[in-house]
Amino acid sequence: MHIVCCVKQVPDTTQVKIDPETNTLIRSGVESICNPYDLVAAEVAVQLTERYGGKVTVISMGPPQAESALRECLALGAKEAILLSDRAFAGADTLATSYTLSQTISRIAAVNPVHLVICGKQAIDGDTAQTGPGIATRLGYSQFTYVSEVVSVDVENNTIKVKREIEGGSELIEGTLPALLTVELGLGIPRYASLPELARALRQDIEVWGAGEIGALPERLGLRGSPTSVHRIFAPPVREGGRVFDSTENTERAIEDFVEVFFEKESPLLEHLLSQDKG
Amino acid sequence: MPKNSKGREIAEIIPEKCIGCQLCVGECPVGAIVMEDGVAKIDPEACIGCGRCFDVCPADAIIFEKPRKKRMTGVGQAPVPVDEYKGVAVFIEIREGKGAEVSWELVGKARELAGKLNTQVLGFILGTDIKPVGEEAIAYGCDVVYMIDAPLLKAYLPKVYGNALVHLLEQVKPEILLLGATPLGRDLASVSATRCETGLTADCTGLDIDLQGRLLLMTRPTFGGNIMATILCRNHRPQMSTVRPRVMKLPEKDGSRRGEIHTLDFAAPEDNLPRIIDFIATPVEADAEDITSAPVLVVVGKGACDTRHLPMFRELADLMGGAVACSRPVVQAGLLPYERQVGQTGKTVAPKIYIGIAVSGAVQHLVGMQSSDKIIAINTDRNAPLVRIADYALIGDYTEMVPRLIKGIEARIQSFEGKASKR
Repeated sequence: MHIVCCVKQVPDTTQVKIDPETNTLIRSGVESICNPYDLVAAEVAVQLTERYGGKVTVISMGPPQAESALRECLALGAKEAILLSDRAFAGADTLATSYTLSQTISRIAAVNPVHLVICGKQAIDGDTAQTGPGIATRLGYSQFTYVSEVVSVDVENNTIKVKREIEGGSELIEGTLPALLTVELGLGIPRYASLPELARALRQDIEVWGAGEIGALPERLGLRGSPTSVHRIFAPPVREGGRVFDSTENTERAIEDFVEVFFEKESPLLEHLLSQDKG
Repeated sequence: MPKNSKGREIAEIIPEKCIGCQLCVGECPVGAIVMEDGVAKIDPEACIGCGRCFDVCPADAIIFEKPRKKRMTGVGQAPVPVDEYKGVAVFIEIREGKGAEVSWELVGKARELAGKLNTQVLGFILGTDIKPVGEEAIAYGCDVVYMIDAPLLKAYLPKVYGNALVHLLEQVKPEILLLGATPLGRDLASVSATRCETGLTADCTGLDIDLQGRLLLMTRPTFGGNIMATILCRNHRPQMSTVRPRVMKLPEKDGSRRGEIHTLDFAAPEDNLPRIIDFIATPVEADAEDITSAPVLVVVGKGACDTRHLPMFRELADLMGGAVACSRPVVQAGLLPYERQVGQTGKTVAPKIYIGIAVSGAVQHLVGMQSSDKIIAINTDRNAPLVRIADYALIGDYTEMVPRLIKGIEARIQSFEGKASKR
């Protein structure tokens, strides 16, 4: 079985902050990491090849530095890695990204047929969850998003059975291969790479493909192929603080003051709430 | 303005302002810009001083002082004739035979947008036996409802729903399409946007209209909620956006509203479709309360993560007719279940009154509660982020303050009831 995993290098977003006064980014110490959802996707792919045989190819679109995200996946057990790096890819929104990735997968499949494509549910920098379904739609693959369990894959009969998380519960669904899955974080825990695997991952050659290698139409790539554009960025609106009741001196008094003010200022709201409660 | 060795005036990047979007990298005609440590960098010798990077930069991170006007960036593929597209459409999701609440919230927002554009609100409904939902859509504010009623649409399959929705989009040609950012909505939005080769912006928290270009201004949090970005889709239609539940206000239902309902057919995809074998409903806990619909929330933070005080928090919540919720560390500590977590990785809430007890207010928490009507923060730290945005900040030890607060509120409620019985 041949599985392709799509991964993205992202800034460790919990560390990115904006200075509300100067409206500039505070990026000291912001590291680039492989999107955690995509690491789970790679782990799941490797586990499936351990169960059913076959190999995993990881692909990533990004600047040359994105290579390190691919190496993380090689260390998990992926066999091949391709970096999609070309100036023409820069500035892509999800539509152009899904075009680039689907073109790449078509090229890979022409040489070595692809049974499964596995993506993380979403990337932590954009949280859009749009790229996976976009790729499946372009390739015409069966599409299963929010997968929480791969129940079985039957390459001989070309079928796959998965469990998906949807509103109000989960669904067990069966479809044909090739298929694209987007996976939840809970589906697997990326393993710690062994030393030999790590060494292999660091030494392995990573192919770099550009627009020419994937046979892409230039007008559908990157900035030119992106219908959406960022108009402006700003710090999130800050709510103005209100009254402060300090109880360090006298707790009793502070609470009395608060209740007094609160019930006076918010009386329409409270009367409505409390009367509703009784009804 | 700096010059290179050839004497050309060149553009300069302010690294602190660069958001790493790479738009300039793609726009530069000579490949003079590269990404280094997440920031764009211009090679001064390669730069030809054309200023195109300056034009596309959304963050004003590029200095380019040659006198020229900042032009609107006409990027993208062959643009569609945008004038042919009219109306603000909402995809109305069906849940257990009824319209999902988020869809009605979007109809409310669509009314506002359509008002500015002087156009109609259109409801798109897919499913089986959906006639009553069509009538409800009109009561909530749709002018015209288009539906496809077919047995194959009973459960969601991406290709089938994709075909049906794309068919409606091609027939009706709305300029805007809004969908709820639910698992189904996000999935379907991406499938249809890809099929229509148009722009899609996920999880918007603000929608407005730029009247000059009849453009939808789609604002969403990015970088984990630390930055807001306004996104445009200039040359493609429909302009598509998903919006999370409870971000927009639920409109009033008006049964006397009138509108049209049209039923359309569609060509179902013929290839072998996935088969849903089983649906396993998440078991509902006996004491499950939905924190997203409680009018009052008592939210337990990391600093109040103590089993002994849980009954006290429940008492306060009960007194106000509310529910107990919490921040992420409290779930991680195992004090309360995930269903009660507020914030980016939990639920988005907007209660009438939010009472945060020792909640510091990390940005990931704030994005999930900042549209609450009134915020009360109880904390020892006067400088905690939540305290700074609270309408009422109570500074001190919660173990001393909460019991007194309960007494104080009880007394007030009794006086309310006294007043009510006199009436």
